Amino acid sequence: MTLAERIEAYRETLEEWLHGLYHGMIEHPAFELIEKEAEDNDDEFMFACFADAFGIPSPISYYTAELLPYLGEEFQQWERRMWDRESLIERKGQQYHF
Amino acid sequence: MDKFVFFGGKGGVGKTTVSCAYGLKCAREGLRTLVVSTDPAHSTSDVFDQQFDDDPEPVAGYENLDAMELDPDEEVERHMQQIKRTMSDQVSPAIVNEIDRQIELAHRTPGAYESALFDRFIDVMRNSEEYDRVVFDTSPTGGTLRLLSLPDFLESWIDRLVSKREQSIDLFEKAAIGEREARRRAEEDPIIARLLERKEMFEFAGETLRNDAAFFLVLNPDELSIRETRRALSDLTDYELGVEGLVVNKVAPAPDEGEEGTGATYLRQRYETEQERIERISSEFEEPIVAEIGQRVEEVKGSLLDEVAAELDIEVAREVRA
Repeated sequence: MTLAERIEAYRETLEEWLHGLYHGMIEHPAFELIEKEAEDNDDEFMFACFADAFGIPSPISYYTAELLPYLGEEFQQWERRMWDRESLIERKGQQYHF
Repeated sequence: MDKFVFFGGKGGVGKTTVSCAYGLKCAREGLRTLVVSTDPAHSTSDVFDQQFDDDPEPVAGYENLDAMELDPDEEVERHMQQIKRTMSDQVSPAIVNEIDRQIELAHRTPGAYESALFDRFIDVMRNSEEYDRVVFDTSPTGGTLRLLSLPDFLESWIDRLVSKREQSIDLFEKAAIGEREARRRAEEDPIIARLLERKEMFEFAGETLRNDAAFFLVLNPDELSIRETRRALSDLTDYELGVEGLVVNKVAPAPDEGEEGTGATYLRQRYETEQERIERISSEFEEPIVAEIGQRVEEVKGSLLDEVAAELDIEVAREVRA
């Protein structure tokens, strides 16, 4: 192996590590943060659509029921999430990795 | 005169009689007329002695006159089946059961009945090109008023839903850093498309009600129905729906001069009180009294309907305001 090749290999490893570090420290948390926010937003949307799933009569659920075929999977996950979510702090706390 | 004419009022004041009579009057003047009954008690069938259902059907013995009776229960069922059908195309069978429960729930809530009725209303209004005039015989005051207030209310609700959904799609797109595929995209989101479709429907209903519809309230010359009419008027004004006039129904006839028996005395007193009340109605309400219809001994049907129609002083102008 020539010196040039060894330097090349070293730089590649370094780059990979740096990118991994960047991804772990900045990219991924940022991505996660936004996606969590989007999920929270979605939860609110679902709740506004299907409040009657939790016993709150909603005049609009007759119309929003039309959306269920497209929200199938999401609806079920949402229902499960809503039933066992403990607190807002718990949910918001998840984004910090101690 | 507007194309859509609504008759409302307290239960039992004779809305059906008045709307059928008005429908007949329009038909007699050569307008293609449809009478739509939205009252679950459905007495249109009794007035014309003919069974009607969810599709317009010619009324036997009258020219230019069709009638139909809306059945919200059937509509609720149809709506539910349709959703379930769409669902079996879209969703994996594993979660169908769970969602079935939610769909059934949504169709058992008290609002479902109103929503279904409202859908049918819009349907009828949308598909009424062949008629010159559509007369709605509505269910008693409370229900109808709520129904007419729906478009505004639902429109703003749907607006909020759409903006929430857009917001979360936007976030999902932003979360798709680098090579990652966004979990959702705005252009192909069926939810937003669905909601907008609904919104359009409500807008149509709101506009039609405000621009192409006339409302008449039917009342009897008694205290209760005057009070209810006052409430109804203020509610309708709140929804920006103007009431064109009042129809006073079931007015007692005066006995002949010189009759002095117990019956005649009773009738005379009654007649006087009622006249006082009618006086009050015409002075206290801004809306004009467009007809005073005398009380009949028999049920109003057949030739009696023609008589009632003649007593109605509601204009039937041929040209329909666009």
